[in-house]
Amino acid sequence: MSLTTDFMGLKLKNPIIIAAGPWSRNGDMVRRAFRAGAGAVVTETIVNELNPDVRPRLAYDGRGVQNIRLYSDMLIEEWERELTIAKSEGGVVIASVCAQTPSEIKYLAQKMERIGADAIELGVASPMGEGVEVIASSPERVFELTKAVVETVKIPVMVKLSQNVSNIARIARAAEKAGAHGISAIDTVRCIIGVDVSTGKPMLATYGGYSGIPIKPLGLASVATIAQSVKIPVCGIGGIATAGNVLEYMMLGATTVQIGTAVMLEGYQILEGILADLEKWQRERNLTSLSEIRGIALEELKAFDEIALEPKTAKDPGKDCSDPNCRKCMDCCVYDGIVKKDGRIRIDQELCRGCGLCVDLCPDGIIELKW
Amino acid sequence: MNIKEVANRAGVSVATISRVLNHPESVAPATRKRIEAVMESLDYTPNWFARGLKLNRTGTIALMVPEILDQGYMEIAKGVEDVARQKDQNIILATTEEDRNRELKTIESFIERKIDGLIIVSSALTKKDLTLFRNQKMPVVFISKNPELTGVNGVLTNYREAAAEAVNHLIEIGHRRIALIRGTKPFNENKEKLDGYHQAMENAGLDHSDGLIMEEENTIEGGFLAMSRLLSEGRPLDGVFVTSDNMAIGAMDKIKQMGMRVPEDIAVVGFDNLKISGYVEPKLTTVAKPMYRMGLVAARLLTDIIEEDRPEAEPQEILIQSKLKIRKSCGHEDRFSEIF
Repeated sequence: MSLTTDFMGLKLKNPIIIAAGPWSRNGDMVRRAFRAGAGAVVTETIVNELNPDVRPRLAYDGRGVQNIRLYSDMLIEEWERELTIAKSEGGVVIASVCAQTPSEIKYLAQKMERIGADAIELGVASPMGEGVEVIASSPERVFELTKAVVETVKIPVMVKLSQNVSNIARIARAAEKAGAHGISAIDTVRCIIGVDVSTGKPMLATYGGYSGIPIKPLGLASVATIAQSVKIPVCGIGGIATAGNVLEYMMLGATTVQIGTAVMLEGYQILEGILADLEKWQRERNLTSLSEIRGIALEELKAFDEIALEPKTAKDPGKDCSDPNCRKCMDCCVYDGIVKKDGRIRIDQELCRGCGLCVDLCPDGIIELKW
Repeated sequence: MNIKEVANRAGVSVATISRVLNHPESVAPATRKRIEAVMESLDYTPNWFARGLKLNRTGTIALMVPEILDQGYMEIAKGVEDVARQKDQNIILATTEEDRNRELKTIESFIERKIDGLIIVSSALTKKDLTLFRNQKMPVVFISKNPELTGVNGVLTNYREAAAEAVNHLIEIGHRRIALIRGTKPFNENKEKLDGYHQAMENAGLDHSDGLIMEEENTIEGGFLAMSRLLSEGRPLDGVFVTSDNMAIGAMDKIKQMGMRVPEDIAVVGFDNLKISGYVEPKLTTVAKPMYRMGLVAARLLTDIIEEDRPEAEPQEILIQSKLKIRKSCGHEDRFSEIF
């Protein structure tokens, strides 16, 4: 029993990969990730021409993070040294690269392979700096960029996709057809994190990418779609902060996952707990490998007209609410089906239409939907 | 003082000292700093002549540009310099004004001086001149080369597509009578921009006959003169695409001098994205030519060949994409696309 994972022909000691971002901006940070237990690390996205770092470039709204930093701030010549440092822990280093033309991205990938990268991630899904439409919104462009790289390097190539597209399955298929060995999704989502109403200014000076817990549902939907559209392995990204989140992505078809924002907000020590919880979960269920649960939730995803019409309703909990003044379930019920008497709620079985919202809203978790 | 004494004093091997001198990026920064401090305290400088003989390298690359005062070529030089500094290479700069004979003479003198490699920008060289490098096994990378030169390392940008995109932008805004002002130099580059103009106008079913095309020297004055000639012919115009920002600035000056407004009467789009273009009034819409990045990539390609010591390696052509920079002189009012 172990967390060892085969991914695009790479042997990872566990399925948790550190995503491309400021937390993997140089060799030392990558080394820190390995010491904290990462199964692999993706470098911050490496480009030919550096962009100036604007200040401030990060904003946090209590839930998610907006980032407006454009790619790595180190020259490729500096990465030659940094990659040696990054590789000194013996871990799997995936170089993220971005360019707009096949010949340029091919050059970068080739260079990264030569200086020691174990795999390439095409970082072509950034929601900023590359025009209104992200590079990865065109299947044709993804195809030609991927093909150029796959034909040139011998190491595995993973293509990172964006949620800012209308049909992510088409893009994933284009990458697969071009010979990609894996797909990672999703990149940050285009956002404006908020406006300071006292000054009338947006919190950061331009559109950026949103990441963290709030984007997890978007990531899950994208990964499920991709996993149902291609045969190559998928690496799930978006809002992962717990072992449970890792399992959610895996059950929807991911082979590995990437963590970024959680590491930025809480430091690399967060990995230890996630890995321990994953191992415990696996041990308790007596699974030889987490691959046994891969995609099991996909089988439960149904077309709308396949969903069984069961006459479920919310049932009286039959016990007192811990807070006699709590009105959450009553206030949310648009069918006026809930009343409270003597500190206990009563659900009218004629009025309740079984929507399920009160079940999730109840702070005590004592309402059940049954038939 | 020789390298062995430095190694003894620093407590490292001769090989490590040699790496600090030849591949400083491969030595951990802390160790490198310590060794450099020892070298400085001992007043040690390597014997470059002996070193060159041993490595068969001189640590010098050359950059050949048509002219020195052009901002675009300076940006290329900056890109080359940024990589060369990391690689401990010195640069020799030469200007040749797209004069083939001058280019050939300069290259011969570079070869005699045993430079490690050469970057040639917008040259007038022809295919048969390439044997000069091949015979000498001299690594060469071309920037914006003559399309006739095939089978060589090149860093290019898509002048034709970029020009067509700029003209299409004018058409999308609603301009219909669009003239072209083109510079005489650099020749190949402006030829491609002309093709892009024809292509966009043809696709839109608009007039792109010779009377709408003016050629002048690639300067502010040249742009002024070309615009004067276009206007004096009395042809009704509502837009002009200009092959360089300098010429576009001259053209805008002429339009204003005639009492007309940019963009309300005549919209203007330039090419280059010079710094000044973001400050003129109205701010110039232009094509950002990725000169700095082309310099970086060309120097990288060249140092790859030099370091791997295989001048006959499979040549690569790398295309760097330009970008339409939408500002005010074209008459668009859509702030959204300006941001992205």
